[in-house]
Amino acid sequence: MNTAQIGEAVADISAERDPALKMLKLASLCSALGRERGIELVVVGGSAIELLTDGAYVSGDLDLCLANPPTIPLRLRQEIMGELSAVGGPRSWQVAGMFVDLLGSLETLARTPLRRVAGPYGMVQLAQPEELLVERVLVSVYPQPFPPARDCARKLAAVALGGALEFDWKELRRLAAEPQYRILNECKALVRDVANELKTQSPLDSDG
Amino acid sequence: MSWEDWLKGRKWRRELGNRVAPEVIRRPSGSKDRRLRKLFNGERGLPFTPTEKL
Repeated sequence: MNTAQIGEAVADISAERDPALKMLKLASLCSALGRERGIELVVVGGSAIELLTDGAYVSGDLDLCLANPPTIPLRLRQEIMGELSAVGGPRSWQVAGMFVDLLGSLETLARTPLRRVAGPYGMVQLAQPEELLVERVLVSVYPQPFPPARDCARKLAAVALGGALEFDWKELRRLAAEPQYRILNECKALVRDVANELKTQSPLDSDG
Repeated sequence: MSWEDWLKGRKWRRELGNRVAPEVIRRPSGSKDRRLRKLFNGERGLPFTPTEKL
């Protein structure tokens, strides 16, 4: 992208008032500029859940991780974000009326592919929803019950159960049983509750 | 997923979530509150678009 195109994109994002649209547009622009330099970014955490569910969950920050390479020099980060007229750094910047946080290298146990949305400025990669759901369920019960994480997990499960999201329930079962999570029973219970409310069957209650 | 498909699916996704949790579930507080509330006039982010307008 040339300077004029970047300037137009930043102006468009700055004017955007819908939180999810603004976040997706900014993720798309950051991803495009990173990709021009061989850097692959991934939207993670609540930001990814928002883009997968439109769950009205996210606050005014976009969380990104590095898929490849695992680290990038501080100088390069500042140069890329400087193209967006960003302020701050080296891990968090204010840009186009929100914040971007670069959290480091992507940590994932998931075997399913990153999800992709073709944003207006470039492809956006999102963390795997199977692992996002397992993470949210874990946070919703440990170290103590946490209702905001539970609501978030319930919405993600509903979107998956409703067929509005490509979702691998076998992978969820595998991840939830991993020693790093050990949250399978809680996942089963939450998905069963949500399935009951949607008047459907929980895939975690069937064999396989 | 294409940009157009993502946009078209927004209302459906939101409605599915609304069947099992409140419409807005943004955390009331968090570790980044200071900077968020400064930028968003005391809030933690922009207001969400109502479901019917998606």
